[in-house]
Amino acid sequence: MSRLRTLSLPTLLLLFVGVPVFWAFPDALPFWRAVGIILGWAGAGLLLFNLLLMVREVRLASSLGGLERITAWHHQTGMAAYLLLLLHPLALAAAGWAESPELAWEVISPLSGNLAVWLGWGGLIFLMLGLAATFMSRLTYGVWRWLHSLLGGGVLIGFVHVLQLGISAGGLLALATAVLILLWRLLRVDLGTAAKPYIVTSVRSVAQSMVEISLKPLAMPVDAVPGQFVLTAFFRGPSYRGCGEFHPFTISGIGLEHELRIGVKALGDCTRRMQSLEPGVSARVHGPFGEFLKDLPSRPLLWVAGGIGITPFIGCLRQQSVATPTTLIYLYRGEQDAAYLDELAALSKHSPKLALQTEATGTGPPNLSRLLPDAGALANHECYVCGPPGLIKLVSRALIDRGVSIERIHFEHFDFR
Amino acid sequence: MTRTLYMVSTTLFWLVVFGLGMTAVLWSPVEQGDAQAQGKTITLVELAKHAAPGNCWMAIRGSVYDLSGYLPGHPSPPDIVLPWCGKEATEAYDTKTKGRPHSPYADELLAKYRIGTLAKAP
Repeated sequence: MSRLRTLSLPTLLLLFVGVPVFWAFPDALPFWRAVGIILGWAGAGLLLFNLLLMVREVRLASSLGGLERITAWHHQTGMAAYLLLLLHPLALAAAGWAESPELAWEVISPLSGNLAVWLGWGGLIFLMLGLAATFMSRLTYGVWRWLHSLLGGGVLIGFVHVLQLGISAGGLLALATAVLILLWRLLRVDLGTAAKPYIVTSVRSVAQSMVEISLKPLAMPVDAVPGQFVLTAFFRGPSYRGCGEFHPFTISGIGLEHELRIGVKALGDCTRRMQSLEPGVSARVHGPFGEFLKDLPSRPLLWVAGGIGITPFIGCLRQQSVATPTTLIYLYRGEQDAAYLDELAALSKHSPKLALQTEATGTGPPNLSRLLPDAGALANHECYVCGPPGLIKLVSRALIDRGVSIERIHFEHFDFR
Repeated sequence: MTRTLYMVSTTLFWLVVFGLGMTAVLWSPVEQGDAQAQGKTITLVELAKHAAPGNCWMAIRGSVYDLSGYLPGHPSPPDIVLPWCGKEATEAYDTKTKGRPHSPYADELLAKYRIGTLAKAP
């Protein structure tokens, strides 16, 4: 990643937190009260930055280092903002404590009858509930998304709290910025105006509970390369009714007329329904995103795929033969789960620099000490891992144990919750 | 990791808030004298007699406050606050620097210094 792209997110973070803190920096206030005010504005700045990270524009995402990185920052800054905003009322109460415990309580008490304090509590409780829902991984994506949006409500209430305190300029600017970013996200991503219209032309089963879908553009196609991913939503067809939610899918191939092929595994309600997709179903495609296999270096490569994690690699191999010695280790539970197995065998026959290793691992963890090349053979390799989070963790650890530096291990999570 | 951080921080937060609430309930510093003083009616003439730094009363939103003990701790420079001693100072209180009113914290703090009600003009 270029230096500019690496620095983009930390620089924006500094701006979003630094400007409000500098503007509102208290002058000659008691210590804890000043701390409370700084915590409040730092949390507010972090929340605005966090909202900006929800915007999914192709160029913006690329200049900030990719959607995967943006999502990781979204998670971390959201949690940091929450912690600062929890401490904000406690620091204000600490300032009152110097006078008396009674005053400490009155400053933050929701029973005080002060509208600004009520709004502060309202915002904080929305954040609390929204975050609690965020951590409930068992919720269906649709329910999770609605509960997650409580966080947006919490942010807006929080800024009305600032306005109610009489801080008109800062409060209005923060509120207007938050509303604009939320509207931007709603229109461009959730309502799909940034996505392009496509139509399903074929659906092929490639493994148990996994289909490969071909999509033809109905207008301008997305400018993608295989291995990147697109956010795709499916709607109605002759007898199919899609759930209309945008989910990330890796591009497993691109045709001459910009037809996209994507691999869809049944991992949730919506993707399970997609297994019965049929030609003629309308779709919208937003993207492309992802930097995973873009700009491959000219040194030897090690690719490790687990299950559906094979899709970026097959996409890349279908496009062109590998230019440098490449070892592809493909792990799957059983033959019925192994998508593209025959095609991979055929591709490796015609690609002398590609060494293919396939292995059915069953339900247990793979025997990586046997499967991975030893430290000597891995020297100078660039490693790419795609698969379930558990496998990525195992393989990364095994590679580091073999002396591969962390900068040379690349992976993609697909965890956008 | 993040989930654990969320659960620990949220639990600690509620424990502190609950602890503060309980301390406030159990804390009973209200003195008899104060309670009686709250009912006292003070005229503008009487208010005007307390216009010195060491003897400073102000009328704000219909109540009279004896701020003599608090003034040394007030964040603003003395020349901003002192001219309001002995006077009706609601507007000054509601429009401090950058046109902002005082915070709920200041309102709570102010209540501690209340000594009576401002008499209505004849």
